[in-house]
Amino acid sequence: MKKNFKLENLDCANCAAKMEAAINKIDGVSAVISFMTSRLTLEAEDAYFEEAVETAQKAISKVEPDCLIVR
Amino acid sequence: MNKKQKRQLIRIILAVVLVAGALFSEMLVGIPKTLTTVLYFAAYITVGLETVQKAARNIFRGQVFDENFLMALATVGAIILGEMTEANAVMIFYQIGELFESCAVDKSRKSISELMDIRPDYANVLREGIEVKLDPYEVKIGDIIIVKPGEKIPMDGRVIEGRTSVDTAALTGEAEPRAAEVGDEVISGCINMTGVIQVQVTKEFEESTVSKILNLVENATSKKANVEKFITKFARVYTPLVCMSALIIAVIPPLVSGGQEFSVWIYRALTFLVISCPCALVISVPLSFFGGIGGAGKLGVLIKGSNYLEALARVETVVFDKTGTLTTGSFEIEEIIAEEAYTKEQLLELTAYAESYSHHPISQSIIAVYGKKTEPDRITAVKEIAGRGVEALIRFRNKEITVHVGNEKMMKDIGIFEVPISENTIVYVAVEGKFAGYITFADKVKKDGPETIRKLKKIGVRRTVMLTGDRKRTAEKVASELGIDRVSAELLPQDKVREIEELLAQKNEKRSVVFVGDGINDAPVLARADVGVAMGGLGSDAAIEAADIVIMTDEPSRLASAIAIAKKTTGIARQNVIFALAIKFAVLALAVAGVASMWAAIFADVGVAVLAILNSIRALNVSKFE
Repeated sequence: MKKNFKLENLDCANCAAKMEAAINKIDGVSAVISFMTSRLTLEAEDAYFEEAVETAQKAISKVEPDCLIVR
Repeated sequence: MNKKQKRQLIRIILAVVLVAGALFSEMLVGIPKTLTTVLYFAAYITVGLETVQKAARNIFRGQVFDENFLMALATVGAIILGEMTEANAVMIFYQIGELFESCAVDKSRKSISELMDIRPDYANVLREGIEVKLDPYEVKIGDIIIVKPGEKIPMDGRVIEGRTSVDTAALTGEAEPRAAEVGDEVISGCINMTGVIQVQVTKEFEESTVSKILNLVENATSKKANVEKFITKFARVYTPLVCMSALIIAVIPPLVSGGQEFSVWIYRALTFLVISCPCALVISVPLSFFGGIGGAGKLGVLIKGSNYLEALARVETVVFDKTGTLTTGSFEIEEIIAEEAYTKEQLLELTAYAESYSHHPISQSIIAVYGKKTEPDRITAVKEIAGRGVEALIRFRNKEITVHVGNEKMMKDIGIFEVPISENTIVYVAVEGKFAGYITFADKVKKDGPETIRKLKKIGVRRTVMLTGDRKRTAEKVASELGIDRVSAELLPQDKVREIEELLAQKNEKRSVVFVGDGINDAPVLARADVGVAMGGLGSDAAIEAADIVIMTDEPSRLASAIAIAKKTTGIARQNVIFALAIKFAVLALAVAGVASMWAAIFADVGVAVLAILNSIRALNVSKFE
């Protein structure tokens, strides 16, 4: 499944790149973050999708604690 | 400016005042030194406390090389070395850069959302005769909606009552309004201008044009250009590398030489840290692409990703489909030539009857010109023969006669071997096996066709090619009228794919082949080309989905505009990368040599960022490409 999320409080372009790299390190998850539109496109297996969003959020928080995936 | 940005601005101003006070107090005699120091610290805390806090917090999270950390380290280091003015300057300028960056990003986000201000907020739906205001998501297919003058049409549908004109400018960039009457399709996102209309909804909101376009634009920047990928990768290596160098500079030279003081080298190392932040680089590239995509949108050209913009800028060959792309696709009757036994009107009548069940554009054109209603009981039998034409039994002058309408092959099949030829599309008519006459059609070249080819040549397209299923003679006439370099005619759909593959094999590896079609029958070709462009995308889902770039209007000249925008945008992105890297590396080298002070480093960081951002914003300005 592929889904598009809005990101709240995404403040810096380099952070966005770091988050993207961090999420792509998670097994079975691929992600693109567009800094200009503040959007995250996440792709993962249907069965693990919720879990994937959770782990992605954790990876994001590590880079920028205020940044949230809007669900 | 939002609240956060205003707060930041106030802090910066306050810090500048405090630093000015400190500098002033240094010059006066009799002021105690402590006051100066206190003022400096007050300034630093005002402007830099948040950064230092963030840096400390992020270290505990394992984010060592983040920009807060770098700035905190550089400034705290400067304070320890006693360089209070410079520590404050670095922090103040860093904050100015951040503020500037966030304002610039907001500005270009806003200009794009204004551009895409086509999302309808509500729909007036007729429910049991009463008008109710509903969320567009709640409206179903078949519902009847009322659209008043000045309102956006919330979803695609067909007019069932009233007449009006609609402004499609938000979607197409076209200023001329379109007329809409009962029976006409109207497209969501357009603005109703003059009259109240009732529209029967044919698509749910999520499937409507407006949703599709918004979706496409919002996702466009997630398909990243190569420059952008390069720069983010580069940033990942660059920062740690500069930091390591800083560490080496701080420690090794003093140890080796022994004679020189540590503080000199530490100062140089701190200079390194100031330059090591890659944010300017990382933001300036997507910012320019975002601007370019937004700018193209203003002209009615939707680009589905930064990567396509990049490929468009590298165009070498442009391949056009003929019908509907370079020509209007409506076949206008040019000439009706009847043999002696019939008048022109009779020939037209017979042809119209024979073709009355066909949906071919040529048949439609014949029926339209005939004008009168065909009486179905006069047609006894109709047989369509694929690739040939139509055979029909028609009552004419109280007799039942066989009529053949079709091409040269059809005539040969019934034993007529000699027919007149024309460079235009031609339809032959035979009655009872005898030649009765013919009708020729002109597929008119679009108004801006010749101009398109000229413009393409001017902006560096090496070759223009036209592909068509039409006959060779017709194709060559159109091509010479337009100034196209190469024509391939009489192609079946699969042949078009093969032609594209041939062109792809011939091209220079670094350049691209662009295909432009109407998006209806050429999806495989659109997919196969480096960049697939669909024309006249307004209201055609198939086109919007299959293509990489959609030209909302029917004007092929917009392709030239899009290429010009693409070239400008990629040019800006490249300038930013080269300029920023050159300055950064130059200042790094000067810093090692001890020539560059921290002030130069501040310029290499914040100054470059500001200039790169200003340069990026230029991409939004597309007025000269219209």
